[in-house]
Amino acid sequence: MKAIRISRTGGPEVMELVDVAVPQTKPNEVLIKVNIAGVNSIDAQFRDGRLRTPLPFVPGQEGAGVVTAVGPHVKLFKVGDRVAWSGTLGSYAEYVAAPEDHVVPLPVYITDEQATAAMMHGLTAHYLANDAHKLKSGETALIHAAAGGVGLLLVQMAHAIGARVIGTASSDAKSQLAREAGADEVIVFTRHDFESEVKRLTDGKGVHVVYDGVGKDTFEKNLNVMRARGMLVLYGMSSGPVPPVDPAKLSEKGSLYMARTTLAHFTATRDELLTRTGTLFKMIDEGKLKLRIAKTYPLADAIQAHRDMETRTLAGKLLLIP
Amino acid sequence: MELVDLPVPEPKANEAVVKLAASGVNFIDVYQREGRYKVPLPFTPGQEGAGTVMAVGADVTGVKKGDRVAWSGPLGGYAEFAAIPADKLVPVPSGVSDQQAAAAMLQGMTAHYLSHDTYPLKRGQTALVHAAAGGVGLLLVQMAHNIGTRVIATVSTEAKAKLAREAGADEVILYTQSDFEVETKRLTGGKGVDVVYDSVGKTTFEKGLNVLRPRGMMALFGGSSGPVPPFDLIVLSQKGSLFVTRPTLLHYTATREELMSRSGAVFDMMAAGKLKLRIEHTYPLAEAQRAHRDLEGRKTTGKLLLIP
Repeated sequence: MKAIRISRTGGPEVMELVDVAVPQTKPNEVLIKVNIAGVNSIDAQFRDGRLRTPLPFVPGQEGAGVVTAVGPHVKLFKVGDRVAWSGTLGSYAEYVAAPEDHVVPLPVYITDEQATAAMMHGLTAHYLANDAHKLKSGETALIHAAAGGVGLLLVQMAHAIGARVIGTASSDAKSQLAREAGADEVIVFTRHDFESEVKRLTDGKGVHVVYDGVGKDTFEKNLNVMRARGMLVLYGMSSGPVPPVDPAKLSEKGSLYMARTTLAHFTATRDELLTRTGTLFKMIDEGKLKLRIAKTYPLADAIQAHRDMETRTLAGKLLLIP
Repeated sequence: MELVDLPVPEPKANEAVVKLAASGVNFIDVYQREGRYKVPLPFTPGQEGAGTVMAVGADVTGVKKGDRVAWSGPLGGYAEFAAIPADKLVPVPSGVSDQQAAAAMLQGMTAHYLSHDTYPLKRGQTALVHAAAGGVGLLLVQMAHNIGTRVIATVSTEAKAKLAREAGADEVILYTQSDFEVETKRLTGGKGVDVVYDSVGKTTFEKGLNVLRPRGMMALFGGSSGPVPPFDLIVLSQKGSLFVTRPTLLHYTATREELMSRSGAVFDMMAAGKLKLRIEHTYPLAEAQRAHRDLEGRKTTGKLLLIP
């Protein structure tokens, strides 16, 4: 089968299109024919070695497709089922073997594109707004990269909850997208200092919560824009890891809370995974959650997809078609 | 710390002068004396006290001469009289003595905010409380127990273990004999606890992260073994998407409303017999140095008071 393989870590060019054997399923795994593979910033972190996994490997953690084989211990799926998954490496390929626990059945009204766009980004946005910091109506949230994959979904959810949303974005075009998604204010951080802007927009009071997938570039200022007892949820590090943090700073800046979260801990049981995807699919079906597909590439153009993702030129989800 | 003779303070327009009946000794006094927390010199230490109002400034309306009051926060408690901003004074009800009030303010409100706001405890949860026989520790164990939370306590001696159990701890670990990480994991069937309340800091922080269940919270509210050095955030995600907070009482009594509500809740618990304060160690004001030595030597349990 065709697959993208990484034999050494580095920039997008380390991804090679190769012909490899279809993976063998373990007893609890299903073999899925990948119709669509989702591109996520975490893929770049595995590709460049910021996150470690043994070499060589096939990147990609998410997608939608059809079950073509099941291992002997599989109870939840049969051949022919339409499914989506997240959290299993190997998705940039024609076939992927995934533990059945990580796989969800797709309702007939959800397309493969919608499912792929909803999995990692949607699950992330959902746990951020409901569990990492349970957002309440009337609170003010700062959402960085508000026009990004997670951002656009999180902005919609926060808006639906009744929170006041301040977003940050890198351009006017992205700012417009974030506003359309429900952001009340958007700061174009390439022109304005988000710290002084957030202070101005909140009469100096600060926000209740900051949702940040950026990491290094925004960390220090995030601490300055929160209300006392506010929460900083760090769910990613697209600009790089945050340097070690002195806990005394948290008390100085207002007895702040901080969390560094990953999706795995918010979809740790099958129940929790299905509850979240169930909510997401329902919201999509009811038109309450709009998914933006920025671009679709053939699998062979994975390098270009990563380049586009890293230059931040496109807003929305990037998809690969094997 | 030197005993000196100074003029009785005059209240500023927004202050009241209180004749102290008792002054609370706290670890923060030690940090300020050491310079770990900076205060302009010279200063009179002591952030907590109770007594009777002797004089009020021109703008003060909330208290009058003769009122029994207590406070936590403004410096100047190690003295016979202190001038305190009136909006920091809370009334002491008749069911609570001056000594109990002085003992309860900082540590009682700290235990209260930790268990009711920083991580609001629920029946059925499990909390790990370090230094469980210390000033805040014994109060926090009682409050957690009253809520119905299972309490795992860490202490350094058998005598302290006994106190922690009497306060309501379900399990007590002598960390001088056992590894609290191993024990806590064993006591929770490997699952970990919902929250760690840690006033010890340097020697306990990292292991505390290891005993939290996924999405659990580390509430670091002190550093008696030393401040926790800067740590790598990625560790929080690796150990289970953990939450960390480093709260201080200031931010949990930021408005007069909150101050009144919190002190009121603590005094109510005391008057109802639900919160027992151990005041075993009272020292004359002149022996403040001995009080600090005893506190720092970890010989003491419960609250230390200076009596002017």
